[in-house]
Amino acid sequence: MSILLTEEQELIGQSAREFAKEYLDPIAAELDHTGQFPAAIVKQLAAQDFLGLFVASEYGGAEAGYVSLVEVVENLSRSSAAVASILVNHSLAAYAIQRWGDAAQKQAFLPALAAGGTLGGFAVFEHGPTPGVGPNALIATKHAAGWALKGTKAYVRNAGAADVYVVLACTDPAAGAKAQAAFIVPAKAIGLSVGPLAETMGLKGCPVADLVFDDVVIADSALLGGPTDGQTITTETLALASVAEAAQTAGIGQAAVEHAAAYSKTRVQFGRPIATLQAIQTLLAETAADCHLARLGLRCAAKLMDDGEPFLVEAAMVKQFLARNGAKLLIDTVQVEGGFGYSEFMPLPRLFRDIAGTTLLDAPADYPEKTIAAALLA
Amino acid sequence: MSILTAAQKQIQADNVAFVAKEIIPFAAQYDKTGEFHPYLLDAARESKIFAMAIPKEYGGLDYDALTQAVVLEAWGYGCAGMATTLAASVLSMDSVMVAGTDAQKKAFYGPMVRGEIGSFGLTEPSAGSDAGNGKSTAVKVGDEYILNGSKCWITNGGYSSVFVIYALTDPAAGMKGISAFIVEKGTPGFTIGTVDHKLGIRSSNTVELLFKDVHIPAANLLGKEGEGMKIAMKTLDMARPAIASLSLGLSQRALDECVKHLQQQYPEKAQPGQTLQFKLADMKIEIEAARQLLYHAMNLRDAGLPYSAESAMTKTFSSDMAMKITTQAVQLMGTFGYTTGIAKLMRDAKIMQIYEGTNQIQRLVISRAVLAPARPAVAVQKGGI
Repeated sequence: MSILLTEEQELIGQSAREFAKEYLDPIAAELDHTGQFPAAIVKQLAAQDFLGLFVASEYGGAEAGYVSLVEVVENLSRSSAAVASILVNHSLAAYAIQRWGDAAQKQAFLPALAAGGTLGGFAVFEHGPTPGVGPNALIATKHAAGWALKGTKAYVRNAGAADVYVVLACTDPAAGAKAQAAFIVPAKAIGLSVGPLAETMGLKGCPVADLVFDDVVIADSALLGGPTDGQTITTETLALASVAEAAQTAGIGQAAVEHAAAYSKTRVQFGRPIATLQAIQTLLAETAADCHLARLGLRCAAKLMDDGEPFLVEAAMVKQFLARNGAKLLIDTVQVEGGFGYSEFMPLPRLFRDIAGTTLLDAPADYPEKTIAAALLA
Repeated sequence: MSILTAAQKQIQADNVAFVAKEIIPFAAQYDKTGEFHPYLLDAARESKIFAMAIPKEYGGLDYDALTQAVVLEAWGYGCAGMATTLAASVLSMDSVMVAGTDAQKKAFYGPMVRGEIGSFGLTEPSAGSDAGNGKSTAVKVGDEYILNGSKCWITNGGYSSVFVIYALTDPAAGMKGISAFIVEKGTPGFTIGTVDHKLGIRSSNTVELLFKDVHIPAANLLGKEGEGMKIAMKTLDMARPAIASLSLGLSQRALDECVKHLQQQYPEKAQPGQTLQFKLADMKIEIEAARQLLYHAMNLRDAGLPYSAESAMTKTFSSDMAMKITTQAVQLMGTFGYTTGIAKLMRDAKIMQIYEGTNQIQRLVISRAVLAPARPAVAVQKGGI
């Protein structure tokens, strides 16, 4: 794989792998069990400079780009995809501020986001069919002091743990998707509260909850980009989410296939290790191949981002590939481990629950097809 | 639509109603705690549904195979975990149906007719797919057998009154040295070991059974010594379609939940786009195909015709389908699916590809039959081998 990575990217990936082995392997099962936000681990992520990987050096970031980000995400996910989820959702907020923020906004937020003093969250979804263009459950109206936000955002990751959120709101319900704006909202803003934590199938430890805005008043300076840039911000930021979640998927799948391969060498049935059976070898080979192809696709999209090239179509292709094949990485590796593999004392059930969260969410199910087809037909 | 008799349709409707009242409202709670649901046995007692496979002369409902499949589909729709409780209990009595004497049937079926449940004990840590590789032994001493060893992943084990246990009476003979026994709960030396916590079907009870010098009457031997593997294989032929039924119920539930969700999400006249519409159409096509394969297999069995290959095929097809459709359901519903009971369907579906013989073992059996020259198969007759 190294031909696809620079020496720096490879070193960053290795350091993430070593970090994950030392700090995440010992806590991953417990984190899955308790679902408690791992504040101490997040501090350590900051100490490793993982929270500001692609943030420009003038704001205290590592300025190592998006390939480095997905390398770190994949390597953390091989041990704990939940911890990687915290990093990914933090990164979405940092990305939006770096990409669309003005000088003052970048100066105000990026150094703390990169250093880890501030954790970010990205609040785009609503209890409706289509992110950003749904029922417009959060309305922003002009106010003497700037803007007033009223309503609810749904399924916000890092909810309650984040110090600052990038929030999508509708400035004109009649205009729908065109009137979306993004705002930078501190968690401490008066009137902002966090709903009860949702019970998720997996990725436990990365909190998910509604954000409830009860006339939250924010200054004009909280508007990110222009008043109608919300849809673009949503689309691009969710494309980064697709790429980063693909890296989570590849990491989970890699961990699973390695575990299942090792298991198959020790599990004896019919007088021989099941690893010698071609049926088992096929399950492992298909999983490894899908993992590899996902990794190529997601690195390609991340490289396009590093090069400042359009990446939405490539991100959608990775998302589509994994919507079809991502969950199968665990469906087939659990199959290798059979009845043992289905028991929660083994690690793969956690990975099975996690991978559903990294492959199946975060966009309408037909989003990738629409994006790819629109580009082809343009 | 399918061709069911008026009586079968009535039984189906009764079970759909039972599931709506006694299973669906409680499924999430028991999935969460991972506890067994003893209340269910009380709720089902009056209907005698746990005795659905037992012949009339023994006090059971005497449902034919197709009717049993329809019942299990309805239960699988409500909760695959609770449906597993029912399916596993039927599985245990299938062994007695295959090889039991009149006296053995009376002894085994009695508790079931009273609303109690049973367990089938074949699997051991060393004997999963390699089912004949168990280490448990039964040594004949006078008019008793003395049973030693253990069984694992035994469904209902902690709550069953009666068990069919497979053990070696002649270890030197390997698979041909396996025999089947009826063992009653509470027999001295017979204890329950660890309870297994699983990815899905969490409301079904899965335990280890431990046997230490357990004395069982020689009269509890099913069939003859050495016939255990033959009995087990015939039992599994009968039981595998139950997994197809559960998988079918799970898949239908997933589709229904998708439709319900999409209808809530889209304004009155709007529809999801063709990409999603066609996914729903594909789900529907597969579910109907699976249902017909299952019903066909059951018709063969009810007609006394060979159905072993169809039994393996319906189990494999339906369970792979259930895994695929439940995964797609989570995807269609996105984070809503991930944070609600939809995710349970996906976790539950995974075991369908594993238990009652993994789909790899089914494919082994099917591909052998495909590659082999045609040879006559033996029909399973009720009440004997």
